[in-house]
Amino acid sequence: MAEQITCWLGMTLMVLGLGMPQAVKASAQSSGDEQATSRRLEIVAPFDIKGADPLLSGILFQRMQVVETLVEVDATGELQPGLATVWKVSDDGLEWRFTLRSGVQFHDGSRLDAEVARQSLEIARAKPGILKSVPIERIVAADDHTLVIALSEPFAALPAYLADYRQQILAPASFDESGTAQQVIGTGPYRMLRMTPPLSLEVTAFEDYWGEQPEVRQARYQAVSRAEGRALIAESGDADFTYGLDPASRQRLSKSPRVTLAAAATPRTMLLKVNANHPAFQDPDVRRALSLAIDRTAIAQVVLRYPRGASQLFPPMVEGWHDPALPELHQDVFEARALLDAAGWTVGEDGVRQKDGQRLAISLITFSDRPELPLVATVLERQFHAIGIQTRLDITNFSAIPAGHHDGSLDMALFARNLAMVPDPIGNVLSDYAGTPEAPGGDWGAMGWFDADFTAELERMAREGYEPTPEGQDPRAQASGVIQQALPVIPIAWYYQNLAISHRLQRAQVDPWERSFGLSELRWAP
Amino acid sequence: MNQVVEGLAPQRVDAVRRPRLDWPLRRVIGAAIVASLVLLALLGNLVIPGDPLEQHLYRALQGADAVGVSDAGEVITSAPLGYDHLGRSLYHRLVAALGLSLSIAAGAVILAAFSGISLGLLAAGRGGWAERLLSLVADSLLALPGLLLVLMVSVILPSTPLALWLGLSLVLWVEFFRLARATGRSVLASPGVEASRLLGFGAWYRFRHHLWPEMAPVMMTAMAFGMANALMAIAALGFVHVGIPEPTPELGTMMVELLPYWREAPFALLTPVLVTFLLLLGLLLMSGSKARTSTAADTLEGARP
Amino acid sequence: MNLPSRLLQLLMVVLMVGGTSYLMMQSLPGDAAWRIAAGRYGYDALDAAAAASVRAELGLEAQGGLHFLYWLGDILRLELGTSLISGESVWVEIRHQLGNSLSLAGAALGISLLIGPPLGLLAGLRAGGWLDRSLLAVCSLLRATPQFLLALVLILLISVEMGLLPAAGHGEPQHFILPAMTLALGLAAVSARLARDAMAAVTQTAFHDFARWKGLSNAQTFWRHGLRHVALPLVTYLGLQFVTLVEGVVVIESIFGWPGIGHALVHAIFSRDVPMVQGTALVLGVGFVVINLLVDLLGRQLDPRGVK
Repeated sequence: MAEQITCWLGMTLMVLGLGMPQAVKASAQSSGDEQATSRRLEIVAPFDIKGADPLLSGILFQRMQVVETLVEVDATGELQPGLATVWKVSDDGLEWRFTLRSGVQFHDGSRLDAEVARQSLEIARAKPGILKSVPIERIVAADDHTLVIALSEPFAALPAYLADYRQQILAPASFDESGTAQQVIGTGPYRMLRMTPPLSLEVTAFEDYWGEQPEVRQARYQAVSRAEGRALIAESGDADFTYGLDPASRQRLSKSPRVTLAAAATPRTMLLKVNANHPAFQDPDVRRALSLAIDRTAIAQVVLRYPRGASQLFPPMVEGWHDPALPELHQDVFEARALLDAAGWTVGEDGVRQKDGQRLAISLITFSDRPELPLVATVLERQFHAIGIQTRLDITNFSAIPAGHHDGSLDMALFARNLAMVPDPIGNVLSDYAGTPEAPGGDWGAMGWFDADFTAELERMAREGYEPTPEGQDPRAQASGVIQQALPVIPIAWYYQNLAISHRLQRAQVDPWERSFGLSELRWAP
Repeated sequence: MNQVVEGLAPQRVDAVRRPRLDWPLRRVIGAAIVASLVLLALLGNLVIPGDPLEQHLYRALQGADAVGVSDAGEVITSAPLGYDHLGRSLYHRLVAALGLSLSIAAGAVILAAFSGISLGLLAAGRGGWAERLLSLVADSLLALPGLLLVLMVSVILPSTPLALWLGLSLVLWVEFFRLARATGRSVLASPGVEASRLLGFGAWYRFRHHLWPEMAPVMMTAMAFGMANALMAIAALGFVHVGIPEPTPELGTMMVELLPYWREAPFALLTPVLVTFLLLLGLLLMSGSKARTSTAADTLEGARP
Repeated sequence: MNLPSRLLQLLMVVLMVGGTSYLMMQSLPGDAAWRIAAGRYGYDALDAAAAASVRAELGLEAQGGLHFLYWLGDILRLELGTSLISGESVWVEIRHQLGNSLSLAGAALGISLLIGPPLGLLAGLRAGGWLDRSLLAVCSLLRATPQFLLALVLILLISVEMGLLPAAGHGEPQHFILPAMTLALGLAAVSARLARDAMAAVTQTAFHDFARWKGLSNAQTFWRHGLRHVALPLVTYLGLQFVTLVEGVVVIESIFGWPGIGHALVHAIFSRDVPMVQGTALVLGVGFVVINLLVDLLGRQLDPRGVK
């Protein structure tokens, strides 16, 4: 397994590095092959299509490369030119100038200019989304090719925010009067052929795309919500590209003659959110005891079938934020029990710990959209049972987690969090772990835990960037250290994206940032 | 949940030819299967004690093992059927699941039979607007797919055995109502009942001595069939993740959980499948084919009450 | 059943679905905005701001006592509103999904008719013969197998092991075969028994004996005298299979990724898209009453006895 992952990571990088020049060659060679160019690529993934608006299914349109953003991201997380070729910030950090790519056409034939981009961003800004937390004063089209974003205070991570799928640039004709997109008219290498929510859509190559023409000319996306269903489709050879495989199916498919498995580390971590307002969990030692009760290796190997569990919040692929020097989270049931005893929670007659007449019985919310979550929750229930904590599982709709955060009813919640929705994790760290003293933390992060210095430091980083401290330390690693020490959330496992790729395809790649299926880079096998 | 089809084919009951509950071989086999599974549910944990929730993660999906002592010196309870994907004893989960499924299904059937028969007899006895109103409600319930009703109830109530129980009862009572009303109509009009009433016997006496003997065979059949439908529905709901929540073992959810491992550990998946299948088969054999597929005239009459 | 009582039944169905949907909406009022936002935005993007915007947009807070009456009024005027998730009109969505489900159900019904009744008739002609006995065994086994297991077995055998048909998906004709087969086998198991019993009954009647006695062949007897009698229960039963089909469709569509009304219903129930739940339930309920009415009429055509 481990070799497989490294092997695929290597291949991914190789494809990224060598893809371009070879792509030209490959398309020249295969241009005579009508069969290959008219073939339709079949993609199967779990995500339903909800509608044309970026807020609803924008991430899917981005993955299908129908739409593009001003800023793109490469496999290592470095920002790359997208629809904007260059950007720079004024010395006071308050004015960003983005130079737009020239000669870009939308799928309806209209031209991209700064005014169109401005409208698209304004519409995105009016809707719920991460752009709301950026101190934008106004967006101006300075001239045809220059978009100016004026801020009320410096914000170094702005370009990364513009790479988020919700900031995709759509043609004005996409929107109705209320600013809701009714059609997807983007600038990507593929244009929408037909969309039949909730389960399928079809794209075809866009002849007037500004960049390279892709070899795969037609592709169809199908949403299959059940993991078993997806695995079966992959196994029977009906899908070329199957996304989101469950651990058991992975094992099985690895022996299949029709497909190859691919995996890539992704900035997604399985977390246990703990309510630090709870009488027991106020005490950091009790949170530490919870962490010590968890056998991450067994969970990873048996349930998720990964080589190991999470040793800290950020996986190694998130450079800067992952600090290899941090002491690893580990299991030690005896120490966990000792910590609980010391905190005054003693084992009662029924085997459940109690303090001042209150039993340590809590509920753990999770959801089944990701099939591994209920399984891990079931394991956690037993492992907490072993240290005298009674856990009631509540497997429900995931909306119960932020809802419980806001009404204060949540005890613990288990979920998978994308730590880099914005390619720069600062966006997530700010929204999940900063907050205000009155409303500490965020819906998918800390609850009831607030550290004023930590928050101030995060805000400074967002403003100024990640210059090393005078002592030569990375401030991001220091922030990770604070989280590791206080454990407002308890990391359990780091995720990998798992795909099955049919042998009809060559050089498939996995985008670790979950932004693209990589259609335009794919080649048909000869 | 085929209660609609069956509901429309009530057995004709006339006072002269009293139907007997006969026990052909098919029924005996069915009853024997069901009885042995009920025994397993009741006694399984006494024969081989164990905890259906206890996990031995590193034994996940392994086959059966004998009683042994672990490195830490703890006694490992044996798992005669091997372990599931989280290293829990399949045998003990199966026993617990059988108990739960059976009690929900039996509870639903009992509630449905009780309310269905009372309302049916009320309708038959009172006649007039009471009968018309009740029949209308029953007919309209029939017009809604049963699974939909259960789903809706389980959204209104949180996903607990209670929701399943109530939802299933809501679907199942119609069958009993229709059967009771049909029987009640003919029996209540019979000279025997008339005589009882004139002799001053109470309502309970009349039910016990005139109505129930007429209804019993049909009702028993309907109950067995209702049980089968309820068990099937619980499994199907587990499959669309509206069933009993984790970690409580339940036959439907056990199957769903083990489904991804069908190639790695086919036996693990096969055990709940086999038990469910046998249970349903037993109940269907018990209910016999007569109540389900009756003659042309009966079906037609049932469709146009 | 006559037309007025069918209409009354129709009204009751509408009231019951409306009432249940209203209860659904009311059962967790604070949660509704969260659930809807969850359905729209997914777990990565769901936050308090998203829920707040949903709450403001749909006016979920303002619900007084008169609300139920307005609610019912809307339903009676057949105004089903728009889906809370996609913002699309419920009618438009249902029309699209119903088409998919109906074509699947139609295919299943077709296959089940090809398998079930012919086998049943053959078995019924020789009641007690080897065909009759083995059919009974197969039917009992099929009836005791939950549909999702049947689906799994078919997928594993036909599509994974043999590679003959696609395992799941939608759009090409071959995608119909496996889900339709799964549904059809369950239906055929019952219709075969029904046809067998009816046929067995017919062969024991006096008119059948008479027909044979006067020199008609087996086939002639069947076509002239048997078929009509056998058709009657079958037609009645087929109309009723609609509901069985719908229930099967919920499970089968979810396994095979079929974008039909069952899939939509489960999704709508999960994300609390009450207008969609209400719309789909209404369409299913009303459809069932209408089909019953048609079956009544067809039954009367086949058997004119008893009509004044």
